Amino acid sequence: MGRRHSELTGVAIVGGGLAGFVAYQTLRHAGVAAAEIAVFDPDPDPVGAWRPRAEAIRQVRMRSESDGHCYPTSFPGLAPREAVRRGELMPLVKTACNRYRPSVAEFLRHVDELRVRSGWDESVVLARVDGVTAVAGGFELDLAGGTAATGKRLVRHVLLATGHPGHALPAELEADPRVVHAYEPHRYAQRIAVVGAGMAAATEWLNALAAGATVVSVRRREPARRPLNLPRTLFSKRGLARFHSTSADARGELLGELSAPSYPPGHEWDDPLERAAAEGRFRIAESVDGEDQIICATGFRRGYAHDPLIRRLVDEHGLETHHRWLILAPDSTVDRLTDATRTLAVAGVHGQWAYPASDTLAGMKYAARRFRRRVEACRTR
Amino acid sequence: MSYTLRGRLESRLAAALLPFLASSALALGLGAWWPVELAGAMIGTGLAFDVGLYHRLLPYQPAWAAIPLGLLELTATMALVRLFDIAAPLEPALWFFVLSWALAQVLGHAGWPLVRLTYAEDGGELGRGGVGLLTLAPTSLLLVLGTAWATQPPTVHLAAGVHQGPIVITSSQILDGEPGTIVEGGIVVRSDDVTVRDLAVIGGEYGIEVDRADGVLLENVSISDAKLDGIHARRASVTIRDCRIDSLGNRWAQGIDISFSNDKHPSRVTGCTVVGGLEGIVTHFTMAKIDRNHVSRTTLRAISMTEMSMGEISGNEVWDALGVGIFCNDMSMCEIEDNVVVATRPDRASGDAARRGYGVLSSFHAEVELGDNELATNPIPVGAVADAHVVDK
Repeated sequence: MGRRHSELTGVAIVGGGLAGFVAYQTLRHAGVAAAEIAVFDPDPDPVGAWRPRAEAIRQVRMRSESDGHCYPTSFPGLAPREAVRRGELMPLVKTACNRYRPSVAEFLRHVDELRVRSGWDESVVLARVDGVTAVAGGFELDLAGGTAATGKRLVRHVLLATGHPGHALPAELEADPRVVHAYEPHRYAQRIAVVGAGMAAATEWLNALAAGATVVSVRRREPARRPLNLPRTLFSKRGLARFHSTSADARGELLGELSAPSYPPGHEWDDPLERAAAEGRFRIAESVDGEDQIICATGFRRGYAHDPLIRRLVDEHGLETHHRWLILAPDSTVDRLTDATRTLAVAGVHGQWAYPASDTLAGMKYAARRFRRRVEACRTR
Repeated sequence: MSYTLRGRLESRLAAALLPFLASSALALGLGAWWPVELAGAMIGTGLAFDVGLYHRLLPYQPAWAAIPLGLLELTATMALVRLFDIAAPLEPALWFFVLSWALAQVLGHAGWPLVRLTYAEDGGELGRGGVGLLTLAPTSLLLVLGTAWATQPPTVHLAAGVHQGPIVITSSQILDGEPGTIVEGGIVVRSDDVTVRDLAVIGGEYGIEVDRADGVLLENVSISDAKLDGIHARRASVTIRDCRIDSLGNRWAQGIDISFSNDKHPSRVTGCTVVGGLEGIVTHFTMAKIDRNHVSRTTLRAISMTEMSMGEISGNEVWDALGVGIFCNDMSMCEIEDNVVVATRPDRASGDAARRGYGVLSSFHAEVELGDNELATNPIPVGAVADAHVVDK
């Protein structure tokens, strides 16, 4: 699996989840050798965090309506590969109509295949990074708590891909023994309250109803119904240019609005709920009552302050923040700590200041491709 | 994909590069301009739609939209081809468009994303290569225009005054008269790509004879006192625009006769005034469009398509014709609409039942598709004889 990196490493990816994995594939595609990249994570499995969450909510298809995958190039994605493998046109037709959603099993197979092919395990250092300190020409990583490596590492380019900083639970429910988070393994009781109104909540309504339960949807506001969480223009330069040119207040406000709960429109969601409501098995309420089980589909803790590594980085280096967001340059780098000789970039959920959909595969690629550009441009790598 | 405007233009130009080069090579090979003109119409249409339509209306463009947008661009391109009389044969033109479109799709969905990882995120922009393209495009345009200008046929200016004919043209050129230029004895065109314009022709067996020549343009010419036809074209592709032909007083003359050219690019007669003669404008075994002409006082028929001709007769004004106004005959197929045919006189002296003063007559297995026409004060507005047909459009 992992190996000790006693030498100076050119590129470090802190966090070996999907964001780190995507960045790794992007760097490898650019010709950066596996030996030049160190991925720091106590768990070598790039879907080690994602897989249990998907299993917990019984997810069978990828959520994205588009061809989300971890390949460094957007073509060929999963749809054309499936079309070739099966000798069918339908995956191509579906992807042209934004209707292609690969199965979770297919996605996991694809990750496994890439993991082997790219030499991912050669680059993984089984260690947690507790601190990142800027030094002349690079960064010093403080490794601790891992199973195979401790101490300090000096690197020139660092990508922080630390992932979501834990599940969010409403304060008033934290101590309630009936509570389980939607992303934790769970079975379904007979009478269930599902707190939340986003995609995970909608999935749990249907899961619980299918399991024969009676469901109360506890929500503070009506969920938006849209195919994606974000307007499509915000996935590319057309919308991003405007996004990047807004003031910090306006940008923060927009990001707040965009994080409002939503799930896609469609009969596959509405019909089971309507049937269950007619049978008296589904209703909406403002608070939990005497249900046997409370499933909190309330997502993740939000904001850099919940991530110990980033919070320490911000505190020690006086980095700019705005409310819960770490301020980043449009290319997802930390401006103050990035120059011609070193790079500190952020991928995944903490990269929202640069790319609102940073926690999607598209967002992970956005940060990874710009990080790659920085790494390629550095002659002393 | 959400294109930026620059991304749309760069992607468009990049995808058009190969078709443009192919069209240039084809033009060189064929010695004709239509491939480049066709490519220009296609690229120009695309760029205009990008700027004026797509960028505003499609902040996000799903992949499937390429098909309806492609059809829209094809329609507009073919309309431009028609509007500017680009001599592109239909089938090759369609293939050229379809292959260019397919290439653009392959590049947009596979090619560019493979060579430029941030292609989609950058809204279709191609980085430094794209900037180069934006520079190259006007340079290429200037190069093509320069080449077109440099390879234009020579212009021969005829000074005002009388020039003794017949003038026989055997090489590509523009014969350009000044106001008051008169050629006596006729002009004979025996070369492709000849333009004759802005002059008057008096006399001659034919006023202007076009013999086995393609791409001939006769523009703003006046013809009178020709012994036989004002304009006589055989096995030729000719565009006759804004002419005036006077055949009054010559009982055997015809205004314009284009014949035996069915395998040629369609001819066109437009904006002409033809007075007198047996037939005003007639085609035999020819594909033609005859539109916006004024034909009067003919003694046999004003406008005729006959002997398996095919074409459109539209927007003409015909009056005071003897016997028949508009005539479609002998297995020809004629689309006749928006014409005004008035005061056709019956030719009683001929004793011919088919000359009793028809506004529009379809004869001998001919097929007329009849649109809206104004057919007033004709003894018989519309008729069909000898197994011919007239169907309403």
